[in-house]
Parts: sequence; structure tokens; C-alpha cells
Amino acid sequence: MKKLIIYLLGASFVGAGELIGGKVPLATPDSGASRGENPLASSQMLQNILQYKDGYGEQFLHFQTEWFKPLFMYIGIGVLVVFLLHYLIIGPKRFSHERRQFYIFSLFMRVIHWIAAIGFVLIVPTGFMMVFGDALGGGTLVRNARYLHSIGTVLFAISLVPMFLAWFIPMLPTLDDIKWLFIAGGYLSKKKREIPAGKFNAGQKMWFWLAMLGGLVMIATGALMYFQTVDVNQLLQYIGITAEKDQIEYLRLSAIVHNFLGMVIAALFITHLYMSIFAIKGALDSMISGKKSEDELKHLHSSYYRKLIKKENKSSL
Amino acid sequence: MSEYARMKFYCDDERCIECNGCSVACAEAHELPVGINRRKVVTLNEGIFGKETSISIACMHCTDAPCEQVCPVDCFYIREDGIVLHDKDTCIGCGYCLYACPFGAPQFPKDGAFGTRGVMDKCTMCAGGPEETNSEKERELYGQNRIAEGKVPMCAAMCSTKALIVGDEQEVSKIYRERVASRGKGVQSAPYGWSTAYKN
Amino acid sequence: MANTWGYGAMTNHLGDIQNAKAIIIFGANPAVNHPVGFGHFLKAKERNNAQIIVVDPRMTKTAAKADLYAQIRPGTDIPFMYGMLHLIFKNGWDNKRFVNDRVYGMDEVRKEAKKWTPEKTADVTGVSKELIIQIATVYAKSTPGTLIWAMGLTQHTIGSSNTRMAPILQLALGNMGEEGGGCNILRGHDNVQGATDMCCLSHTLPGYYGLSKGSWGYFAKSWGVDFDWLKGRFQDEKMMSTKGYTLAKWYSGVLAGKPGEDKIHGTPLKALFVMGNGITSISQQAKVKEALDNLELIVLADPFVNEAAILTDKQDDVFILPAATQFETSGSVTATNRSAQWRSKVVDPMYESKPDHEIMFEFAKRLGFYDEFVKGMLLAADPKTGEIKQVKDTFQWPEDATNEIARIIKTIGLTGWTAERLKKHQENWHMFDEVSLRGFGPMKGEYYGLPWPCWTEDHSGSPVLYDIHRPVKEGGMGFRNRFGLEHDGVSQLAGASATVAHSKVKGGYPEITATNIEEVLGITLTEEEKKHIGKNWKVDTSGIIARKCMEAGIAPYGNAKARAKVWTFPDQIPMHREPLHSPRPDLVKKYPTYKDKPNHYRTDTKYASVQNEKDWSKEFPINLVTGRLVNLNGAGIENRASKYLAKLTPEMFCDIHPDLAYKHGIRNGHMMWIYSPEGAKIKVKARFSYSVQPDRVFIPFHFAGVFEGKDLSDRYPEGTAPYAVGESANTVTNYGYDIITQIPETKAGLCRIEKA
Repeated sequence: MKKLIIYLLGASFVGAGELIGGKVPLATPDSGASRGENPLASSQMLQNILQYKDGYGEQFLHFQTEWFKPLFMYIGIGVLVVFLLHYLIIGPKRFSHERRQFYIFSLFMRVIHWIAAIGFVLIVPTGFMMVFGDALGGGTLVRNARYLHSIGTVLFAISLVPMFLAWFIPMLPTLDDIKWLFIAGGYLSKKKREIPAGKFNAGQKMWFWLAMLGGLVMIATGALMYFQTVDVNQLLQYIGITAEKDQIEYLRLSAIVHNFLGMVIAALFITHLYMSIFAIKGALDSMISGKKSEDELKHLHSSYYRKLIKKENKSSL
Repeated sequence: MSEYARMKFYCDDERCIECNGCSVACAEAHELPVGINRRKVVTLNEGIFGKETSISIACMHCTDAPCEQVCPVDCFYIREDGIVLHDKDTCIGCGYCLYACPFGAPQFPKDGAFGTRGVMDKCTMCAGGPEETNSEKERELYGQNRIAEGKVPMCAAMCSTKALIVGDEQEVSKIYRERVASRGKGVQSAPYGWSTAYKN
Repeated sequence: MANTWGYGAMTNHLGDIQNAKAIIIFGANPAVNHPVGFGHFLKAKERNNAQIIVVDPRMTKTAAKADLYAQIRPGTDIPFMYGMLHLIFKNGWDNKRFVNDRVYGMDEVRKEAKKWTPEKTADVTGVSKELIIQIATVYAKSTPGTLIWAMGLTQHTIGSSNTRMAPILQLALGNMGEEGGGCNILRGHDNVQGATDMCCLSHTLPGYYGLSKGSWGYFAKSWGVDFDWLKGRFQDEKMMSTKGYTLAKWYSGVLAGKPGEDKIHGTPLKALFVMGNGITSISQQAKVKEALDNLELIVLADPFVNEAAILTDKQDDVFILPAATQFETSGSVTATNRSAQWRSKVVDPMYESKPDHEIMFEFAKRLGFYDEFVKGMLLAADPKTGEIKQVKDTFQWPEDATNEIARIIKTIGLTGWTAERLKKHQENWHMFDEVSLRGFGPMKGEYYGLPWPCWTEDHSGSPVLYDIHRPVKEGGMGFRNRFGLEHDGVSQLAGASATVAHSKVKGGYPEITATNIEEVLGITLTEEEKKHIGKNWKVDTSGIIARKCMEAGIAPYGNAKARAKVWTFPDQIPMHREPLHSPRPDLVKKYPTYKDKPNHYRTDTKYASVQNEKDWSKEFPINLVTGRLVNLNGAGIENRASKYLAKLTPEMFCDIHPDLAYKHGIRNGHMMWIYSPEGAKIKVKARFSYSVQPDRVFIPFHFAGVFEGKDLSDRYPEGTAPYAVGESANTVTNYGYDIITQIPETKAGLCRIEKA
């Protein structure tokens, strides 16, 4: 219930922007965009031809032909190789699930997280399929990958605001995180010891912020590339920014940002998957039951465990 | 046309009167859906005397076509005579060609399910597509194949003032040079947009 | 123009424009209305270094290609031209020899021009005096110069003065009868010149013969029908020679008697038969609608549903007949430069549509005069005697119709327009030079399309009118002797040095009649010839006059002076008068309009009483400029039913300057109301544009289907609604008609705008 209210408040923030943007200066008569014409086909096109070299066009061309594919390949293969080695050399962490189980994640959060998970599972592999489209022969297969990519985006978008609002506070950085980072979360050793971390450890926090904020950027850039003709200058005016860049420049920039950020997100997503499926046995069950074993909590989220125990003791007094 | 012809478009902005004959002729000839403008006329400084110019823009069939370079599924192919075409069955509609194109030529009709964006469509210089020449399928997907019949692309054929010219680069250059010489002014090193498209 | 020098058509031709060194365009927009023809203007600019000067209330596409542009206040063309003449006469740039020999009445023009100093002209027209001086200088010094105009000049209450002023300007500079000069009025619609030549008007018989008893007699003879039978088709003989209503004001014939409506003379109108005419092209649509509602019968014959069917609230007795398009029928058409071209059918009439002539034949059969109707096509004139007799029992359409026209119409010299010759031109149209129209190879000796006058069956055609440097056999001629032999003691015939090349007669000569032919040509006719010769060159069915004239190098219509002074008009020399609704009340006092004219084409037409009714500019301060778009045509009935053409401009809009819009709180792309002084209003989309100044707005006139904010498109029969509908500009054009022709004053009106 509390979460629902927060969610609604968040949604109305977006709507308020529209109201504020009531009295903004109009575009000049020259840009057909102000007449409701396709912003990609307005008279600014002409000027853009000559500015092609100075704008994002040449940059996009350069990145797409020289950089994106190789980088995606290195990252995709590289990250997998790294974790394969980790699994073989260091191996997973096992925790006893016989002892007490703490109820950590509510049904609502589990549902939200699953929606996000399915979303990501649709998004990231199809993204890779599009990058390497020619190797797959293009056509129907890759086209459907593109459609699945957008469906995944919708799913992720649904989960984004509730997840962000609900976990915002626990995900804020604390001193524990600095300690955690110094020991690489304890994943470079086979020993089982107490790791300094709150409800979420630094690794999870990094992933959270990247997925939330980066995800927002990915949704924005992706949606822009999907809809193509949503007038960005008009949107910016609604939130009070006067910009006059040609629509195509926004699209090009979106493509560049989407690809680079996509690499980073893909890398960390694979990490997150590895962590939750392979590196820590039993993490997947938590996604279903919402419970974590005492053993796991005590070791991996020691500060949080201590807090929970203290609260328990207090209430039992 | 000689065996070594290299086809180019040229639009003379001194003659273009924004009659949109090229745009309508193209749409009629290829029976395009209403949302698509393979060729469009853009006007700058409309209404301001001495500054208003119009020019007709479509795919320029560039020498080093950036669209062909960036396509993730490699659906483009460039003919011997320089005409840049693509395969609609391979295309996934991602939009990269549009971002790479300096002229904004690629377009995406909203003809998928639920009005989603379909595959890319652009000016073919009336040279059809990879399907069998002058077949029903080619006509449906890409429009007329006039080049195969030895005819002039529709837009230039219909241009009211012969502002838009298409043909072998030698012929087009010759006509352009003659016009500039008789005007005695407006000498540019190359027509508007040529240096971006043809790198010469 | 006909009142100035004899013929009222474009004097040169489009290709000839490439010979001009200066092209001045008043109230025309060839880049939009003649895009292909505009190529000639651009080539002139390119190859001949021609200066293009545009004088127009808004910055049109044509002005975008101009070298000089004057943004003139609507309705002030006469002051502008007087301003130019002031400088021309002052600096001695006028062609005095030309004026002496070939023009009558220029002195009075000189006197009037003296008053129009650059300062005064600048005040009235709104164009800066520097620009006026510059334009006059450039135009006068770059000869030959050609003057182009179209509706922008004609659609005013002083339209007939405007169209005399422009010829006077050209005459003063000696630009007439020259290659690269002339008055080139660009006619619009396909075959509108042909329709004009056949005089589908209520004040004359075909070929500009007028309605006199003599003309009726000539036609009765030529059509092979009894004169008395023709007379019997009218109420009485007087009505045969009485003018009817005009297209502009037919509604008065229906609404007369209602409060506030103009009085009419004669019987009111009960039925309307519209054949290929866009009803929304007339001003005051609210009145037109009211008239349509009050008719007893409306018949509309068009390939697409005529807007009149939608506009009217009438539920019964409205009939729509499907007419075939020009592709489904053959025949001759006349271009704006008086050339004829042959058109061949490419597809049979679709579904139930019929070509116009078949529709008329069917009506004629049912109304009982079919035989008389088609008789003319069965007749021919004996080549020697000129006697008209029947030579066949069935006619071949369209060849026999074409030959009938060639046989009968001599006023504009259509004698040479036989179907055979025209078809030959069609088959050989690649054998003509673009600029001079001269034919080569099999077409040598002919000009493309045999521009009329084409005096005899082997005449070459006359591409450049009034050109005395060519012999008459090759299209040369002087000005027409149409207005008598002398006026106020001054001979109306051309001066001694205005001799037409290879002419037997030096200088001017009168129009040829049976009585003066021997004297003027210096020949003797045989007895046979004297027996069969017609009364004058216009009614000579024997062809003797034309033949003899060709031999002697004489133009049958005479060689006279053009007259700058038309003594039968209310303003003998053109005078400026403010439009009925003028934004300058101070100028209305100085240049008031005409007195109200009774029985002007059967209706009492108001002038001064409208102008003086109140100070219109207080309540309606904005100038209303109307015009056309390149992708739509006329009332838009055809083009708005074409997908791609309608896509370019799917909605009715109003070009408005941002400053003016902001004053009224109108945003770009938002709706606005335009109110007219007549009380009508339209709701249109505002479109910011710098092509108009903040004191005027522009609306295109091609839309229909929405009336005062109400969408009428659901009235269309199933499947016939066009892709685009919109308000008609003519809903808000106001009362005002030319004093001579009654053409509506759609180019100089006022309005009030408001945010919607």
C-alpha cells in the first residue's frame, strides 16, 4: 500500500512537467516541426547536410563501423570467460539452508524483480543478436529479435519506478561499501567469512544504480530510436530547456549512447546473472520464496544481519 | 548509357520552384503509402525575398554510402552504376541507415502490426530491388524498375523546370556547367550536397 | 485589352519569353500556376540575363526567383504603373516613334502620369519610392520587356482599367509587336482560352461576334437554321440581343426581391445547369449557397462531385451527371498563347460517364432540337461561291465540329484550324522550335498550333500579335481597326511609317469590307467575286476577302492605332479607384469608386453605396489576399480527390505573419476565424509565414466541403468524398464586381481575424 502511493506520486511528477510547460516560446515558422510536420523532414535537413561532418553523423558512422561490434564481442566473450575461470578456480559460495530463514523480500518486490528479470533476459540477448545481425543472416530472425527487444523494454519499464522507489534508501552508499570494494566482496577467496554489507552489498548497489539510471537512459534512447519522430525539442521545452538541435542529431546521439551504455549494462548483467545463479548457491530460491538463510545473511550481509537480530531482540523484550 | 556510367542526382536550387512534382510523381509511380516521401522538397527561408531557396532531396546514392556501411544485417548492395539498393526481406528496421545518412533518405512506414515500424524504404532511383527484374514482387516491394526499361527515373522525368536531373555523371556535370556558365554566377565547387554524397 | 488594340488574348507566347530582357509580373504567380511554363522564365533569366521583376501583395514562389520584388498593397496596380510611366516620360525612355505612329490618346496618359510622383505612388501603393524608381529604370532600359499578368490584375472592381493600364505601359515603351515583348496574360485552366474563344458567356455569340441582329443572321446562315426559328427560342427579339447574367453574380437572379438583394431586370433564374465549373470559385459563397437553396432545379455535370451539391441544403431536384474527363474524349484545345493542339482519346469513358458533347446531345434530343443543334456539322461552304450547303448526312465527332468552327469563326481567324492540320501538328510536335514556334522539316512554314489569327486554310498562324516586321502571310499584322476610322478629328488608322512588312499598302488601313476592298487593296474584283463576296471580313463565307488580303500582304482586320483612351468606358483613360473595401479611408475620399451601375448584366450592381456604407477599415483592418497552390487546381474538386496531391496540403490554412498572429494570441498550427464584411466567417488553421506582411493574410482558394466551421463532407454520396476538405476562401471574399466585366473583386478585400 505504501509502495503504491509512492509509485503514484512518482508518476504524477512526470505529468506536472506538462502543466509547467504551458507557456513556452514557439519554434520559428521555418521549422516544419512546429506545424506538426515530421521533425525528421523539416527544412533543417538542408543545413544538416553540410554540417554532417561536425555533428554526430560521422561519429556514429565511425563507431558503428569500427568499434561497436568488436567491443561487444570482447565484452560478451570476455566477461563469460572471466566468470568461467572464476567458477573453475574459486568456485561458488555455498551456504546452509537448514537453519533459520529470514523473510526479506515481499511478494510485491519479488514480482517486480521477476518482471525486470524477464525484461532483461529478453533485452540483452536480443540486443546482441541485433549487433551481430549479419552473422545470423538478418531477416525474420533478427527482426523478431528487435520486436522482443522492445517488448522486454516495456516489461523493464514497468518495474523500474517501483523498484527504484522501494530500494532507493537501502541502496544508498555507506561506509561498508568502501570496505567491501577493498576486498572485492570476498569473491576472490574460497574462505567463508563475514563481509561488510547492508541489505545490499556494494556490488548489488553498483548494479542497482547502473540498471536504474542507466536503464532509464537506455529506455529513453531506445524509445527515441523506436518512435523516431517524437519531437525532442518540443519535449525539452516542456521541462524548460530551449534546444534547437535537429531531430536526426538526437537520434544519432541516442544510437551512440545506447550502444556504449549497452555494453556496460550487458557486462554487469552477465555478472549479476553469474552471481545469482552460479556464484551463490540458493540465491535463485530467494527470488521465489523471498527468504534468505541465516547463514547467508550472516556472512554476506553482516551489518544487515546484526541490525535484524537487534530489532528482533528489542521487540522480544 | 555507357557501360561505365555512374548515375548521379543533381537538383539545381536556382530552378527548383517547390512544385513538388517530383515528390508526387514518385509517390504515384511506385504507389507509395501516404506516410512515405521517398523524395521531398525542402524550402529554406520561406517568404523572405532574396533568401528563399528550395531543393529536392532523396537518396543521393553516395559513392561510399554510409547506410551500407552501418547496416547491422548487411542488407545493402551497390550496383556497378552506383545505385544503392537494399533487400527488404533482410532489413530489420533498426534505423541505423537513417542515422548514418546525411540526407535523411531512409524512411520507415508504420505498416507493421499495431502500427509498428516496418522495414526501411527509400528512393531506388527507379531501379527496383533484388527480386527478379520487373516481376510483380519487385514492383510490390520496391516500385517500378524504370532503369531496366531504359527510362529516366520518374522524379527527374516530371520535374517542371528541369531543376532535377539524373543520369550519368558526365552528362549531369555537363548540364550543370553549362547552366552556371550562362548564368555567370552561383559558381560553386560542386552542387549543393555533392561533396557529401560523391566525395568529388 | 480588346478595347485597346482589338484582341484580348495573350499577345506573344511562352517560348517567346526566352527572348525577353526584362519580365515584369503583376499579380501572377507562374511558378505555382504554370510550373512547366515557368521553365521559360528561368531560361530567360539564365540564358538571356533577363531581369525578373515581381509586383505582388505577397512573396510568392515566383518572387523567390525574381531579381526585384515589390510588395504592393492589393488593388493599387494602376498607381504603380502610373508611377512607372511618370519616370518613363520624365526621363524620355518612352518610344516616341512607336507612340506617334501606332497609339492614340497617349497625351492624356502623359498628363495623368505627371501627377504620380514617386512619393505619391509610394504612399498609395506601399512600395518604397526607391524601389519604384529602381523597377521603372530596370524595366524601361531592358528591352524588349514583357509584361505578365493573371487574376491578380483582373479580379478587381477596376480590373478592366488594370488590363488597359498594362498595355498602355507596354505601348509607351514600344514593347508591343516585338519578340520578347508583349502582354502575356497567363490563362489558367486547360482549354480556358478555347472556352473563351467559343464565348461561353452571356453577352456574345461564339468568336466574339456579339449579339447584334447581324451576328445572329450570320450564325443562322452558318448553322443552317432558320433565323425565325432561332428568334422563337427567345421571349422576344429584344431578348436575343440582351446580355444575360454572369457567372459572378448569377445568384442575384435567384435571390432578387429578397431584402437587401440587388434588383434585377428581366425574369429571375429558376434552374442551374453546371458543366465543368467549380461553384466555389465565385466570391460570396454564402450568397451562392442561399441561391442554390432557392433554385428549383440543379444539374451538375462533372467527373467528380461538384461542391455545389454539398454546399446546398436542397434535398430534392439536385442531379449529378457523371461527365468524362479529357482523357476519355478527343478534340482540339486552345492554349493560353492561342495555339490549338489536338487531343486524342486514351481510354474509353469509364462506367456510366459520358463526354460533355454526348450529354448535350442527349439533352438536345429530349428537348426537341437535336437536328438543328448538329446541322452545322453537316454543312460546308462552297470554295468558290461561299454558298453553304449540306454535304453529308451523319457527322464525325470531333473532326466535323472542328471544321465547323474553322468554317464559321472569322473574327479571330480560325479559318486555318481544320482538323487535318491540327492533327498533323500533333503528330509532328517534335518538329518545332521551342522559342520561336517555327516548324522545320515537314512542318516548315507553320508555327506550332497555328496560333490565331490563322486567316486562311494554309496560313502559318500568328505567334506574335501586332508584329509589323513580319508579312501578314507569316503572322504579321498591325493593331486592329475596331473602333472606327476617326475620333475627335484624329485618324484612328496607323501612321505612315507603321507599314506591315511586304504590304501593298503603306501605313494604316481600315478593316476590309466588300465596299472598300478594291480601293484599299488596289485591285479589281471579277463579277463572280463581287456576287459572292461577304459583307465584311468577319462574315465572308466565300473566303475571297481573306485570300485577296493575303496576296496583298494585308491583314483583313485593318491596321490601326491602339487606343490608350477608350471613349466608351466610364474612365476614358485608366484611373485609380480604391477597392470597395479599402484599408485607407483617406484615399477612398481622393480616389472613390464608381457610381452604382444599374442593369449591369441584368442586375443592379452597387459600387459607391458599398464603399461609402461605412469605414470598413475600422472593423476589418486586415487585407485579405487570395491565391493558388501548386498542387491544387481551381475549386479543387479533382485534385483533392487525388491521394498524393491532397497529402501535400491536407487542410485549409491561412498564411499569417507571426507578429500579427501573436497580437491576436494565435499560435502556429492552431485554428483561427476570419470574418468578412458580408457577415460570413471561416475557421482555418493558422500557418506562420513571412511571405505576408503583418497587415494582410493569405488564404488559398482550392478548398470546399466545410462551411463556416461546419463539416459538410458527410453529404457526399457514398465513396465520392475527396481526401481533403476545408473551408472555401470564397466564403469570406466580399461584394465587388468589375465595372465592365463583372468579374468579382476577390483580390482586394478586407477581413477581421480572431483566435478560435
